[in-house]
Amino acid sequence: MACLNPVLWETKVLQSKATEDFFRNSIQSPLFTLQLPHNLHQTLQSSTASLVIPAGRTLPSFTTTELGTSNSSANFTFPGYSIHVPAGVTLQTASGHLYKVNVPIMVTQTSGRAGILQHPIQQVFQQLGQPSVIQTSVPQLNPCSLQATTEKSQRIETVLQQPTILTSGPVDRKHLENATSDTLVSPGNEHKIMPEVLLSHQESSHYVSLPSVVFSPQVSQTNSNVESVLSGSASMTQNLHGGSFSMSPHGALHQHMTDTQPHILKNRMYGCDSVKQPRNIQEPSNILVSKKDSNCQVDLSIQVTDDDINEIIQVDGTGDTSPNEEIGNARDVDENELLGIIDTEDLKVLEEEADSISNEDSAANSSDNEDSQVDIVEEDPLNSGDDVSEQDVPDLFDTDNIIVCQYDKIHRSKNKWKFFLKDGVMCFGGRDYVFAKAIGDAEW
Amino acid sequence: MDAESDVALDILITNVVCVFRTRCHLNLRKIALEGANVIYKRDVGKVLMKLRKPRITATIWSSGKIICTGATSEEEAKFGARRLARSLQKLGFQVIFTDFKVVNVLAVCNMPFEIRLPEFTKNNRPHASYEPELHPAVCYRIKSLRATLQIFSTGSITVTGPNVKAVATAVEQIYPFVFESRKEIL
Repeated sequence: MACLNPVLWETKVLQSKATEDFFRNSIQSPLFTLQLPHNLHQTLQSSTASLVIPAGRTLPSFTTTELGTSNSSANFTFPGYSIHVPAGVTLQTASGHLYKVNVPIMVTQTSGRAGILQHPIQQVFQQLGQPSVIQTSVPQLNPCSLQATTEKSQRIETVLQQPTILTSGPVDRKHLENATSDTLVSPGNEHKIMPEVLLSHQESSHYVSLPSVVFSPQVSQTNSNVESVLSGSASMTQNLHGGSFSMSPHGALHQHMTDTQPHILKNRMYGCDSVKQPRNIQEPSNILVSKKDSNCQVDLSIQVTDDDINEIIQVDGTGDTSPNEEIGNARDVDENELLGIIDTEDLKVLEEEADSISNEDSAANSSDNEDSQVDIVEEDPLNSGDDVSEQDVPDLFDTDNIIVCQYDKIHRSKNKWKFFLKDGVMCFGGRDYVFAKAIGDAEW
Repeated sequence: MDAESDVALDILITNVVCVFRTRCHLNLRKIALEGANVIYKRDVGKVLMKLRKPRITATIWSSGKIICTGATSEEEAKFGARRLARSLQKLGFQVIFTDFKVVNVLAVCNMPFEIRLPEFTKNNRPHASYEPELHPAVCYRIKSLRATLQIFSTGSITVTGPNVKAVATAVEQIYPFVFESRKEIL
């Protein structure tokens, strides 16, 4: 997993609040709809093509044309493109993992404001004599939708916002560490084509085995865990894990049990208030293909951006009434020395005494009197900077010494601050420094 | 027996809590981003703004209600509150300084003698409550003043009340009772 660390860092930076505004303006996350082509007839074929999918937010578009499958050509691209991954494609991520796609997958970009879509559910395959597999349904996330079309029937299950775990009766779950992963399983009957798409985080190695499209007599077991992260309104990625077993009558067996690995839910990454945070899932939209030997696994991570990135909706303070009548009251800008609430009587008194000194005296008196009359609606003007002066400390932000980093912990006791920072760069004294860890103390 | 009431006791006001309203909705996020010396507690929905000059910490709610703590006198509290409202005004909000009220005053007073707490409690049954297993001080409430005093055996007394005057009166009131139960060093 060491190879994933740089990407992890990058994703963290991009997700961190420090760069929240930076990336807000450049929304790059595409929304994808994963659709399995209707013609899932293809059997597993040994892949000949290998694609390199660089990990990261942006993936260059590339096509795989030299595929031995009869499927549509795989066109794996990023924003604005649809991704087609025919069966039998071996994909290699930048991290070096090799994944083989057994079932053609087509990922198309949906509109940016995709609502909650229906999720296709993969069916459970009962494999003869094989450890049962759990069919998984992909819980739906806002921008992503997986639609698996099967040969026989198209099952689309609406996924609830909460991930649920269902297991088919006969299915024997294996290695399900479902502390964090949720799977939707619909009890599978016989032959179901189980296209499984695994969307996973980069940091987790998920193996989704896409069973080859099996015809009716085929029974395959898939063991997949679908981890869906639905957080608030911004569930960004779907994680599906599946180990699929596909048995073709022709003997191309790709039986394989995948260990479901616990996924780190997106929940940990994103708060509930997705609207406020334009988070882009940094995991690249990869289709991870399992190794050639047995696994057909597809990992697909989808980046999603929030819709209203420019609008930060404030959730508190609703129902406030701000009566404006007080504003209309006389704010005597001229009489700057007045601190207290100005009564009409006092105004008259003041006006009578044209003397500025006596104004001040009466002002002092009136302010004393008015201190006890706090409940008077009429308000004293906040002086334009004279008495209630601005903070005399000048802006200390004119400095050129800047640190941009992530924080582990920021602690404060009274006016003593302690900073535990990590992964940052700082420009200090005109020189740039990079650090993995920084600890600081300050007094305010 | 009765102690003279004109003993000069130093009553130190340690904290004054006040509230005021701005009569306008405050955008907490804007305050958090543009204000100086702020701590944004998004999970609870408030912003803390600390001031240096009168050392106060203000809790700002989006409804426009502001609670100001840390001042050492009532005047300072008002001064700091106005300063705070001024800085909010500078951020662009139509702030009106209304409903200023001192809510709580915390003061500390030291007796020149030690006190026998069980005896004191017995003599002042309804007002005093003493639970040594829970808290080492006697809690004495003066209903008329709405003041609460915490009397320690060392002679240190903590007083909380709605304003400074009530606090001073409470100390004066308690002095004779405490004097009765003092620990005399022979």
